Amino acid sequence: MTQGAKATGMGLAFTGIADDPSAIFYNPAGIGFQDHFSIMVGAAVLSRASTDFTGANPYPGIGATGSVQKQVFGLPNVYIVVPLTNELKFGVGIDEPYGLGVRWNNPETWSGRFISQNAIIKSADINPVFSYKLFPELSISAGAVYRFSGVQLERNTAATDPFTQAQVDVAHTKLYSGLGDNGAWGYNAAILWKPVPSVGIGASYRSKITVDYTGTATVTARPTGDPVFDQLVASSGIFGVHPVKTQVAFPASLNIGAGINFGGGWTVGLEADWTEWSSFQALNITFPDGSLPNIDRSTAWNDSWAYRIGIEKNFGGWAVRAGYYFDNTPQPEKDAGPILADNDRDVFTAGFGYNTPQWGFDIGGAYIVLKDRQVLTQSTDNFFGTYSEKAWAAVADIRFSF
Amino acid sequence: MNQIVRKSLPLAAVLVFAARVAGAQSFQNFVTVGDSLIAGEESGCVVQRFQERSWVTITAAQLGQSDFEQPWISEVAATNPLTGYPCLGLTLTGTSLSLAIVSETGTNTNIALPRPYNNLGFNGSPLMADFVDLTVTTPGASDLDNLAGRVLRNCQGCPFQGMSAVDQANLLTPDLVAFWGGNNDVLNAMFAGVAIVGVTITPVDSFTTSTNQVIAGLSASGRTLVTGNIPDIIDIPYATTVPPVVVDPTTMQPVLVGGQPVPLLGPGDDAFPCTPVPPDMGCPLPQGSLVMLPASTALGQGIGIPKALGGTGLPLPHGTFTPPSTLNVGVILYPDDIALIESTIPAYNQAIAAAASANGATVIDSNALFAEVAKNGYDIGGIHLSTAYATGGIFSYDGVHPAPSGYGIVADDFIQLLNTVKGTKIPRPNFSNILFTPNVPNIVSSVSTADSGPWHYSLDTWKGFLNSGLARKFAIVTPTAPDAPRMVPHLPSAPRTARRVERHDTN
Repeated sequence: MTQGAKATGMGLAFTGIADDPSAIFYNPAGIGFQDHFSIMVGAAVLSRASTDFTGANPYPGIGATGSVQKQVFGLPNVYIVVPLTNELKFGVGIDEPYGLGVRWNNPETWSGRFISQNAIIKSADINPVFSYKLFPELSISAGAVYRFSGVQLERNTAATDPFTQAQVDVAHTKLYSGLGDNGAWGYNAAILWKPVPSVGIGASYRSKITVDYTGTATVTARPTGDPVFDQLVASSGIFGVHPVKTQVAFPASLNIGAGINFGGGWTVGLEADWTEWSSFQALNITFPDGSLPNIDRSTAWNDSWAYRIGIEKNFGGWAVRAGYYFDNTPQPEKDAGPILADNDRDVFTAGFGYNTPQWGFDIGGAYIVLKDRQVLTQSTDNFFGTYSEKAWAAVADIRFSF
Repeated sequence: MNQIVRKSLPLAAVLVFAARVAGAQSFQNFVTVGDSLIAGEESGCVVQRFQERSWVTITAAQLGQSDFEQPWISEVAATNPLTGYPCLGLTLTGTSLSLAIVSETGTNTNIALPRPYNNLGFNGSPLMADFVDLTVTTPGASDLDNLAGRVLRNCQGCPFQGMSAVDQANLLTPDLVAFWGGNNDVLNAMFAGVAIVGVTITPVDSFTTSTNQVIAGLSASGRTLVTGNIPDIIDIPYATTVPPVVVDPTTMQPVLVGGQPVPLLGPGDDAFPCTPVPPDMGCPLPQGSLVMLPASTALGQGIGIPKALGGTGLPLPHGTFTPPSTLNVGVILYPDDIALIESTIPAYNQAIAAAASANGATVIDSNALFAEVAKNGYDIGGIHLSTAYATGGIFSYDGVHPAPSGYGIVADDFIQLLNTVKGTKIPRPNFSNILFTPNVPNIVSSVSTADSGPWHYSLDTWKGFLNSGLARKFAIVTPTAPDAPRMVPHLPSAPRTARRVERHDTN
């Protein structure tokens, strides 16, 4: 969501506008209307304002609580637009479209520690695109996407202490696969039609990308205080470094939007985005050497829609922006848990910028309010409670055109 | 008449709706009747430590019933000789893990309650008929009399003389009754190591008659009656832990000869007659046989293991019945025994379902719950529980009764059933307390008896099962282990410092 400051300020309702180099991400057909060699460099910072968990019966039970560390993630992006002819343009973008980071506080006592203490998904895309202006009013685009991705999951393992019949922590497992270790190809295509100069109607499609990960599972002991039991656990042979494999299917998406310039410096963006989250049907983790039991977890996500609106008022070179969007969660109640508890979200955005034909800068920000995610009736993990989350994001970028 | 009915319908609908709205408070008086699974038995005994974590107690707490009364049995240090009933625990003896008696039952500290207990479950292997027929208990007559007597208090001169468990339940006029019994009617075949209808298995027609009496006896207008059915006992750790093949005591993996596992030895039965091939005195157990947990002791003495593999060549005992009343018990079940057990359980459950249907009761499908747990275990919050003996977390040390986690699963299932069927909003139990609270006595016994073998299971414990229920009908003859070299020098049994003795219940 934070691939461009102008788009962020306008509630991401940018598919029908796409008038700066970040169009390579939002609607690459937009670079068909950009006639100068341009380079735009920016960065986003994301952080949680708060994520709190309140437990419910049967597990972890009333009285259990948890909170997520307020980590700050920095996500750089670069976009380059190269006009090859009046009609044909080339562009390349580097950005991070998908990411996840949920590190729970007090990981050794957090009640969800047997599911996740720390879950991270990182991704980085290299996205070369070509855009061709079929007519003065119509541009189309196609490109390839190579996605690097890494994952990490840390959690403890519990076992029944045969002497007390109570559950105790016996091991810690860290599954890790680096960002540069895995990747897969996808593609994108887009169209932008400007029937009149003041109106843009666009659509942008990005394909599903399935990344197969290989990495390591490092299992270390968590002493229980009972050396006899510890020895029994050690004799099971689980400790050490084991190979691990998993797969994540990043969804396809289709964004449809319009941008309308009403004159007087006023521009409005409208957009509806569909994401094929139903392709994310399982999170399966396998241990090829058989050292640990495989983790087969069905997810059964749903396709989702987001609805966006943004507005910009231009004062000569300066502009101020505001936006709002509503994002339906694809995650069903039963799948929400310590790894990720998503929910429908209201996002309020604002931004400003200064642009000339030769250069410009933009800054955008977003405040994200998720509805409380109640997991009280169904849970794949048998882990019940309510998650409350608020987050914010800020993006800044600078552009030079020649 | 029709007009009256029609006019009444809207009112009835309003009342039903009102009752549903008020569902969270819909039960005020919860009463339970049944066997050891109602009493809260674990690890061979019923004591307050276990009673407080039984599924019945958990459910009563979730119902918010503060006056739910039980016969609280104190837990005291084990004595030599024992004066109560032994409770098992896993202990370390030297470098050996041993299942040992870590405490014993004391007295009923709630004996003076001037009304029947809400929890009228009792152990001692009561049969289905006992819940209506056992109207007078006689202390000292049998373990069942002793164990039931302190719950029912219906001995001669006792406050509820002549009143069965069902009678006492009705005296409390409950609005919610949970009944779970009939398990021992087939479980005794497992304890005796032989399935014989009329001896170790209650005939289905008798079971049906008793079930009808119990269910009908507990039914009443305006009362919710929920009855459990019979789980597939073949899947409990008591029957699944010891494989029917010779195991290397060091690796606990099957010994392979010619690439094949070597069956343990048994004496054969009518369906699988045995002609021993010397030097062995038993025959290989046919595929599909089961070896009960108490065989551990005999295996540790080389019994059931061919001489070629260093054993005694003696067969593991299989139960036999000598009319009119002598039951020689064993530790193995042949496939024909198992087939009889497996055909009996569905017939029992059909009888329970029919009785429930005829009396407006609801059946909680304990059979299905246990089958699911036996197959897939139970996962909660990233914690995996299984039915594995001692390490699985669901069963207690006797291999028959649940541990607190297992009872928690039962309570949760019961509450969810009520919420679904009755529209109540009873809160589900909190498993954090259940899962993470150590289940050990808060007393230290100065002596403990231990009897290990590869699976650390006590022959004395086994005798404890037998002496309770079946001993009321039959003269029980347990096999005597001959002196033989031990097979597992690295797992020596601790010195048997106390033998099971005649016990005198204090109630």
